[in-house]
Amino acid sequence: MKLVPEKVGAWLLGTGPDSEFVISTRVRFARNLAEVPFSPRMKPADGELVVETVRWALADSGYLNQGQLFTDGMLSEPDGFYFVERHLASPDFITQKNRKGLYVSDDETISLMVNEEDHIRFQALASGFDFATAFSKASALDEKLEGQLSYAFSPELGFLTACPTNVGTAMRASVLLHLPALVLTREIEKVLRGAYAIGLLVRGIYGEGSETRGNLFQVSNRKTLGQSEAEIIEVLTSTCRQIIDYEHKARQFLMHNLRVEVEDKVFRSLGLLRGARIISSEEATNLLATVRLGVALGIINELKIAEVSQLLVLVRPANLQAILGEKMDAAERDERRATFIRQKLVR
Amino acid sequence: MKMCDICGKNEATLKVRQMDKEGRATELNVCAECARQRGLSGVEEIKSDSGAVLAELRSKIEKQDKEIVCVRCGMSFAEFKRAGRLGCAECYRAFHQQLQPILRRLHGAVQHVGRTVQQGRKRAQERLEVQRLRVELEKAIKAEDYERAAALRDRLKKAGDETGT
Ligand SMILES: [Zn+2]
Ligand SMILES: [Zn+2]
Repeated sequence: MKLVPEKVGAWLLGTGPDSEFVISTRVRFARNLAEVPFSPRMKPADGELVVETVRWALADSGYLNQGQLFTDGMLSEPDGFYFVERHLASPDFITQKNRKGLYVSDDETISLMVNEEDHIRFQALASGFDFATAFSKASALDEKLEGQLSYAFSPELGFLTACPTNVGTAMRASVLLHLPALVLTREIEKVLRGAYAIGLLVRGIYGEGSETRGNLFQVSNRKTLGQSEAEIIEVLTSTCRQIIDYEHKARQFLMHNLRVEVEDKVFRSLGLLRGARIISSEEATNLLATVRLGVALGIINELKIAEVSQLLVLVRPANLQAILGEKMDAAERDERRATFIRQKLVR
Repeated sequence: MKMCDICGKNEATLKVRQMDKEGRATELNVCAECARQRGLSGVEEIKSDSGAVLAELRSKIEKQDKEIVCVRCGMSFAEFKRAGRLGCAECYRAFHQQLQPILRRLHGAVQHVGRTVQQGRKRAQERLEVQRLRVELEKAIKAEDYERAAALRDRLKKAGDETGT
């Protein structure tokens, strides 16, 4: 499989708006082919037909030239988890058995899953807080595909999906936020509840509930029926803007009132990362997230936000394995991870 | 839920009236098993018991749900309720009435607003047919079945495939 392990997607370059608070913005659409049964009723031949139909559609619309379509054999674990860790595929999709396809554009800003829960699920990722880019990229692909495929659609219920939770726009828009100050000041629960109350969903990525690692939270829309794409994005934009302002104030509060404590936490984290000889993915994630806060606050000047965001992906098991190019057990990997991080953080 | 007055183990489903020697009537709640063993016949079935009523109601609904079936893919509404996934696009029409409250609960709405698909719908269907034929053609060529390949090529031409694969 042709992978370029150390090259990260354009969306991870950390150059987008509000990068101090936002890692990435994503817009995903689910689509099904009108004539083909949905996943619970699909026969092997149906699955193959969908994969091949999508292959042609991607080729005819010029997307296949700018990326790769991986099919079954290339998507077994752990190769598949390489894409999961890069936010380009879902874990369920990788663990599910056969007749799947995954298209990834060369810059990793566009990906498309064939035969996940729906026939087609595609997304566009943008760096930072940037719905304009993510939405226009995902919509452009949608239009191209619509010209090639016959979507299951009804004027009453919109785009028809295997699960009624996605019917309508079948759009899931989300923002990946880094909210360490709201966690430290214990304001995060309030934020999560507030977002839920207005129809949004907030969840920690890497782990469930408040056990979240790295203080990374994904805010997304829960509802897909009865609101247009533009309305959904408007609500998400204004809510995330408020959360960002809230996080900004919390960071200012910390810097005014607990500066030494914050500096201590940040430099200890950097020290551990630079000194450790054995480190788990979980510990590395937590420490890197704290270092990221330090860079955002100007406490650490020798690193860039983007470098730290990239490391957050590269140190995860499947990506690390791809970089080092050999199969390792967990203990060996923890050792190699520590070495890898040390090399990356040397100045 | 009332327990059986005789065995004390099973759920009572029958009310039985018994006369003692003095001619006083006692009412007993008896399970079906004990009633059968002792040849008791009930005065009435216990209907007020919520557990039994609910179970009965549930099985009635389950039976009804099994009868609502999508003609295209054969999925019943009961099956959808168990799996949470629909079998095909047509299911939305087949289960229209049953889905309304579910959609209302999930989304607070039952009418789509937003992007629509109108243009090129028929064209898209023709294209799907073309894609289907292309896949077949590729298979035929791989299998070196040139007769079939030629026939498929003709059909592709008729279907308006200009790429001439
Ligand atoms: Zn009994
Ligand atoms: Zn159906």
